[in-house]
Amino acid sequence: MSALHGLVYLSVLIFLVACVARAVRIARAPMHLRWELQPVPHEKPGKSMYETVDYWEKTLEKNHFGELAVMIPEILLLRGVWEHNRSLWFPSFALHFGLYLLIGNMGLVLVIAIMALSGVEVGTGFGLLLTNAIKAVAIVGGGLGTIGSILMLIKRATDDGLSKFATPSHFFNLVHLGAIYVTVLLWALLDPSFVVNLSALYAGLLTLNAIPALSTIAMVHVAVVLLFFVYLPFTHMTHFFTKYFTYHSVRWETTPNVKGGKVEKNIIKNVTQPVTWAAPHIGADGKKTWVDLVSGTGEVKKEKEA
Amino acid sequence: MSCQYCGIQPNSVNDISKESEQLAKVDPKDLMPLPAPYDGDEYRPSIAQLKDSSREAHPASATLDGVLAAGAPEPKTKEEEDKIVQQFISGLRKLFTKENNWTFLQPLTLSMEHCARCQTCVDNCPVYEASGWNEIYRPTYRSEILRRLYFKYVRPGNKLLTKFQNNDIELNYTLIARLYELAYRCTLCRRCAQSCPVGVDNGLITHDLRKLFSQELGWAPKELHEKGTVQQLTVGSSTGMNSVVVKDNIEFIDEDISERVGWEVKTPWDVEGADVMLIENAGEFLAWPENHGCTAVILNKAGINWTMSSEIAGYDGVNYGLFYDDVQLARVATRHFQIAKDLGVKKIVMGECGHEHKALATIADRVGVDLAPRESILTLLADIVKSGKLKLDPSRNDFAITLHDPCNTVRNLGIVQPQRDVLKLIAPKFREMTPHGIHNYCCGGGSGFAIMSGNNFEDWRNLVSSRKKFAQVLNAFGDEDLNTDETKKYICAPCSNCKGALRDMLEFYGAKEKSGIYYGGLVELVVNAMPDTAEPLLDWDMM
Ligand code: SF4
Ligand code: SF4
Repeated sequence: MSALHGLVYLSVLIFLVACVARAVRIARAPMHLRWELQPVPHEKPGKSMYETVDYWEKTLEKNHFGELAVMIPEILLLRGVWEHNRSLWFPSFALHFGLYLLIGNMGLVLVIAIMALSGVEVGTGFGLLLTNAIKAVAIVGGGLGTIGSILMLIKRATDDGLSKFATPSHFFNLVHLGAIYVTVLLWALLDPSFVVNLSALYAGLLTLNAIPALSTIAMVHVAVVLLFFVYLPFTHMTHFFTKYFTYHSVRWETTPNVKGGKVEKNIIKNVTQPVTWAAPHIGADGKKTWVDLVSGTGEVKKEKEA
Repeated sequence: MSCQYCGIQPNSVNDISKESEQLAKVDPKDLMPLPAPYDGDEYRPSIAQLKDSSREAHPASATLDGVLAAGAPEPKTKEEEDKIVQQFISGLRKLFTKENNWTFLQPLTLSMEHCARCQTCVDNCPVYEASGWNEIYRPTYRSEILRRLYFKYVRPGNKLLTKFQNNDIELNYTLIARLYELAYRCTLCRRCAQSCPVGVDNGLITHDLRKLFSQELGWAPKELHEKGTVQQLTVGSSTGMNSVVVKDNIEFIDEDISERVGWEVKTPWDVEGADVMLIENAGEFLAWPENHGCTAVILNKAGINWTMSSEIAGYDGVNYGLFYDDVQLARVATRHFQIAKDLGVKKIVMGECGHEHKALATIADRVGVDLAPRESILTLLADIVKSGKLKLDPSRNDFAITLHDPCNTVRNLGIVQPQRDVLKLIAPKFREMTPHGIHNYCCGGGSGFAIMSGNNFEDWRNLVSSRKKFAQVLNAFGDEDLNTDETKKYICAPCSNCKGALRDMLEFYGAKEKSGIYYGGLVELVVNAMPDTAEPLLDWDMM
């Protein structure tokens, strides 16, 4: 096992642990008050539960594929940006879609690496097809991502709204992503054995065997990818998975509070906590719970007189 | 780019903590143009200057945009100033603890930590657009201030890394006083949230910012707190009516509507075991009494076993806690639920009041257990009208009608179709606004603005936050002659607060006199379509 093995495994581990920790922190937050926002796609199109008389006595029709029908175009095609921020759409789409292609390509490389490890001939037939596909996807993904990064950088620096709200990390992130795209593009274009070397890298990592010597550009690519793994979970870019919570746990969370249900249990847990808000009208003393406090009126003067 | 007219610079986020004469200014020339015949300069007057006494009472808040809706208390000494800063930090931290803010901790944290600062949401804000893209009204402007403070004081981590990822901001009293005021320049309509690809909600951030001020510092506009929730919980209603007065008023309304329809209409009180307990916004009883009268006519005609409650808060569906304070929200909602339980009614029906719908039907669904079911009057009304129980003649509503969708009823609860089903049957000249339904624009009076008129805030509301709605109304009636009041045009607004904002907006622009544009609820149109009433309900001279 080489230092590179160690670095790769460590980076992936940091990525996974940090992402899981963030997800757990969000998921373990107490059940909040309802704050849904239309459209709620799991309801039958154009049919909110509140549009039905005595809805609580009825079984309401659900649109099981409604959420997917919203999420897929949103994630893949950035529909929200298309609809509401058209001039940003292409730069952002190119930046994101380039990444999707490269992530998808990792799956293809994994397949070819496993084929090679299993002794399957990869120079002909399906193996050859896969080899060509990997190279093509790397070029398209790297190229698209490079264009996206450059255009986003220009936008970030010159657009009035974007530049006013930019932080140094925005520029760093774009340069960093750009480095990933440019290096993979150059590696794919300059190295005639790009796929062979890439799959050998994967095979070496999978088996803990020696990794073949990589070109400088390949080494730089691996380095920037590993840095990205370590850095990403500590940034707002985690929205790639926290979006699940903003949509499913907030916008589309409409579970009613029924007697004896899961929601009721959570409410009891929440309202029996002590409160420490300091405004006099709240009447909190650090011991009184939400239940104790909601019997109040918020009138301060009378409470003092009494 | 600086403003060529006033010289005031559009702001960078950090300007909020820098002392200056005024951070921003609403310049009439920047305002979004209105359609003809309201495109002249006389329809974009200046906002009245603040009186010296108001400026002296809230000097720091007054330096936000020269408008005062809330006004932060002014510290008298350096110690008091430091104390306010410390209280603010303490409140900020509590906002992110599960004991104090379990109510919104998860959505708030998500919105704090994942904004891409892509500005995709901003063009959807009617306040920002109508102001002529004034920087401080940008939906992300106040969120960004809170976000920088969050990363500085709640999740500081490594200082350098925090600055690298989130920039820095200086926290001082100037920032706090301006931010408090700025929390009341957003109607919480959540139109921006609908367009955020990440799911970040700038409306929620503003909502929780208001909570921080109320729940930790005890700062809230008096219309929402003292005269609002406190009065409702102590006297019975935010209107100040106790149960004796409200019963008197309803008796008067019953008598009046009986005369107008030609048969006896009576409102039942405190009927145990009734099928329906009606809770309306008590503001209706004073400002638009026919709304209750018509609701009573319809429920009686449909043979519904209904009641109202004369208990404290039981006859007022208002819950201003929704806009600024979770504890006050829970207090009012808990009263509503307790009253329904004590009376043993089968369900609560919420009158034509948008924020009552949101507070009672969805938000308060998780403030207690074993809660009475709640239903919208719009849903019930559609059921009644479609059932054929009422005799209706649509030709009695033979005038142009458009529909305003209250944000809370539509964007939150998704009640879109019932009101349209009713209008389809009773309004031959109905036309939609663009956009409408869940993508509607706020009336400009959302989040309590409709009842906040102190200082020069009403000017700001009419000129800025209601402007987009006014443009929509004019466009909806674009095929009618807007230069005459002879042809009547009716905005159907099934929400008390929206009606309040529309009333002020129409008056401000003189649209009733100039164009014959009126407003009212949905039940009024239903009763107006009843052919057997002694006289048509709508009397344009009285509206
Ligand atoms: S709130 Fe959403 S749309 Fe607005 S800037 Fe943040 S991520 Fe972009
Ligand atoms: S909630 Fe409405 S008013 Fe507030 S920032 Fe968003 S769009 Fe604007």
